[in-house]
Amino acid sequence: MLKKYPTTRYVLLRAIWYFLTFLVALSLNFFLPRLGSDPVDIMMAQSSFSSPEIRKQTEENLRKDFGLIIVDKQGDIVRDEKGNAVKASKLSQLLNYVGQVFQGDLGTSFRNQKPVSDIIMQALPWTIALQFPAILFGWIFGNSLGALAAYKRGIFDKALFPMALLMSSVPFFVFGMVLVYFFGIVWEVFPAVGAYSLELTPNFSFEFLSSVAYHYVLPFLSIFLILAGGQAIGMRSMGIYELGTDYIKYAKWLGLKETRVLAYLFRNAMLPQLTGLALSIGQMVGGALITEMIFSYPGLGMAMLTAIQNNDYPVIQGVTLLITTCVLLANFTVDILIALLDPRVKQSLAMDAK
Amino acid sequence: MLKLLKNLIKEPMFVIGSFLFLTTILLGLLGPSLYTAVPEGGPYEAPSAAYWLGTDNLGEDYVALLLRGLQNSLYVGFMAGIIATTIGTLVGLFAGFKGGIVDDILNMFTNLFIVIPSFVVLVLVSASWPEGRSLTLIAVLIGFTTWPWTARSVRAQATSLRGRDHISLARINGASNLQIIFKHILPYLASYVFMVFIMQVASGILSESAISMIGLGPIGEGSTSLGVILNTAKNQSAITYGYWWGIFPAAIVITVIVFALYLLNNSMEGVFNPRLRK
Amino acid sequence: MSHILEVKDLSLHYLTRFGQKIHAVTDVSFTMKQGEILGIAGESGCGKSTLVNGLMGLFIPPLYPTGGEVMVNGESLMNRTPQDVRRNILSQKVSMIPQGAFNALNPTRKIKDIAADVIAAHSEAHKLSKPEIYARLKERFDLFGMETEHILNSYPIQLTAGERQRSVIGISTLLNPKVVIADEPTSALDVTTQKVVIKMIFDLLEKNIFSTMIFITHELPLLRHVAHNIAIMYAGEFVEYGTATQVVHDPRHPYTKALMGAMLSADAGQKNRKPTTIEGAPPSLAKSIKGCRFAERCPSARPECKEKDQHMRTVGERLVRCDYAE
Repeated sequence: MLKKYPTTRYVLLRAIWYFLTFLVALSLNFFLPRLGSDPVDIMMAQSSFSSPEIRKQTEENLRKDFGLIIVDKQGDIVRDEKGNAVKASKLSQLLNYVGQVFQGDLGTSFRNQKPVSDIIMQALPWTIALQFPAILFGWIFGNSLGALAAYKRGIFDKALFPMALLMSSVPFFVFGMVLVYFFGIVWEVFPAVGAYSLELTPNFSFEFLSSVAYHYVLPFLSIFLILAGGQAIGMRSMGIYELGTDYIKYAKWLGLKETRVLAYLFRNAMLPQLTGLALSIGQMVGGALITEMIFSYPGLGMAMLTAIQNNDYPVIQGVTLLITTCVLLANFTVDILIALLDPRVKQSLAMDAK
Repeated sequence: MLKLLKNLIKEPMFVIGSFLFLTTILLGLLGPSLYTAVPEGGPYEAPSAAYWLGTDNLGEDYVALLLRGLQNSLYVGFMAGIIATTIGTLVGLFAGFKGGIVDDILNMFTNLFIVIPSFVVLVLVSASWPEGRSLTLIAVLIGFTTWPWTARSVRAQATSLRGRDHISLARINGASNLQIIFKHILPYLASYVFMVFIMQVASGILSESAISMIGLGPIGEGSTSLGVILNTAKNQSAITYGYWWGIFPAAIVITVIVFALYLLNNSMEGVFNPRLRK
Repeated sequence: MSHILEVKDLSLHYLTRFGQKIHAVTDVSFTMKQGEILGIAGESGCGKSTLVNGLMGLFIPPLYPTGGEVMVNGESLMNRTPQDVRRNILSQKVSMIPQGAFNALNPTRKIKDIAADVIAAHSEAHKLSKPEIYARLKERFDLFGMETEHILNSYPIQLTAGERQRSVIGISTLLNPKVVIADEPTSALDVTTQKVVIKMIFDLLEKNIFSTMIFITHELPLLRHVAHNIAIMYAGEFVEYGTATQVVHDPRHPYTKALMGAMLSADAGQKNRKPTTIEGAPPSLAKSIKGCRFAERCPSARPECKEKDQHMRTVGERLVRCDYAE
């Protein structure tokens, strides 16, 4: 199949693999919250009702929303002879869930009856605007620093390396707390919480956008710096490894310019770092979500925190599903990038196709 | 082995790392029983002679809290590290050594659980366990979600060992697969697996603090971990009110343990893999 | 006629982390004329690679010159800054063909780009445009009798072992160096490809693309066919230096004799001869050695050998570092 187009073939195969992974993730997303207690029981236990009828009504509606009981084509609850709702099997529950997800229906929030997809769509732009640049630039900055540290070694390396190691030992969110405390509370240089001044209403005025930029600094820095530290460490090790390779020695023997040798080094050490990025992007996003919570940034992290505090399962499940989807998409992109950037991978793809 | 130890002792990173690590271990093990509780004070009292690190929202002495938190966090870290390293090493060894279809299947599983964020799995399971989330449950959860990392790196090492002469020789001599794996491959990887274990403990401690931070950490009497201390302080808006002692000591303790583990890992890497050294 | 390369009493040492000096090369002297190929042979660890660095003027810590002189076309390579060596010596005066061409080529760069990097690195004063550089490359690679377009536009992994090796030779000789040092250039190749590569080297020498070549190998049988002169190295010293025929067919130093015994046994037509091995290991170069360095392993050593330092002397029209050789 597609022997003449090994790269296209590879992209297709990866796409299929990621789709299957997505289905697994979807099943996990469905089953894991049902592993401990029944979510409906938990939600019911938190509320009080004026009459047993209303209680029963609410519980049935919840079970219907969760797909725990069977409904007919009109959306009415199917009942047995005694008038009790008929429970759906786990498999039909799963199929029902998957069907809904593919229709873009993520359920309704238990807390405020809003569709989960609305809640997510409101939070998502903030998260993307914060995390995407922070992770991207943190990656580039950290890797440049790491390559330089590998190439220069000596004092630069000695000072930088333990610093970067210490930086990456600080839990992701603690760094945010430190920044909030000093810059937000003690010195009051930057706002401590939120994404914009609460006196303003979101629009595209200069005033609002500058407020957004002003609030952006601290959360951005806390993700950017921690990430850069971790990447610098990885790149330094990779760089030192590449420095010992024959092609670098040969480049030096040929008298290539130092900047050119450094470019060789960076380019080739970057490829495994890119794989590393693909593999750890899930962890990074997790850490960054907690950073959002520290700053009460109105993104997915905050939406999830609120949902967790209220046992709002539909929202929790919706957010986790979205995070997984984004992470899978990011991984897929990086996989394709590597195949395009590394002639060795390209060549091996051509061999595989034969 | 002795020579390696000698080389290690020459590494300042190793010396500092082991000093920090042993100190935290001792404090965690003995601290809670040696440091007798100070009577309760008012909420968020600033550090003083009576309360070296102040008090929390309930007026409890932070030094006592931190020592207990340290003990519990270390427990979670080690427990999660042991689980993740054991599963990961076994999966990685079998995949790398067996090759072929076994490798393909195990590798697919490993990759599957690497790309599905473990953070998400932790959140989903913890959220469904609103009562009785013990330290052990959290540790087991972390262990079961982080093993793919170990599996991946052990597999790479085992694959490179598979073709070595002494392995082929053992095979010719009729050694069974299990014998080869445990007698001829594992010993070669022992130092490597140990380094991976150290990293897993560090990531276990960090994961615990992260999951606690979003309110899904251990709950119940006596299960206060460092992450739980931080989460309580955050919920009480300790930063906003300027109660720095609610946040920084716990954060520093986490950082110190993790930094110590990173130092140990890095210095060992330098000794076991001389290329990294100058 | 003047010499292209003149090496006089060159000694080099490494400085370890603990301040210990390791004398890797001691008192090496030789000269090379236009068109000459010199073979240098010896066991691994005898100082060949260190000597190579010295001959390129690359004194990068922990390697330091102890003394002596290296001159190319009458110009000294000693006491230059690394920057100066990079700009004015490497690729232009002295060039290197490394061992294992596959790993020597940057895997993520096309051959033409690696070659263009070499030209760019040494024409900083008058920058060439991309088409100019490419035209120059094409002209040069056309000489090699290969599919120039294919080679230049390929990544290393897309080429055969022979194509890679010839690409490396092409890149290393791009700027017409005076001295080319080849480190085991044929060791990873099959016999047919070996022949093609050797022929290419002779071709380039004949066309005066480079002036002299130092051929480093542990395969003495090959050297006999390629080199005009051969030097045998042991524990950082030259122990015998003469014409290829003299050294291979009529060795005089006990070490050369032992080496020939160990190597020729593997050569075709010598199947019946039993392979001989040289007992023991070379001495540690961290301590200063009294007397002959080979004395410990020499089958014909005399008691005074361990006391008296040996110097090169003429025996049977070549130089031998042994007072008792005949």
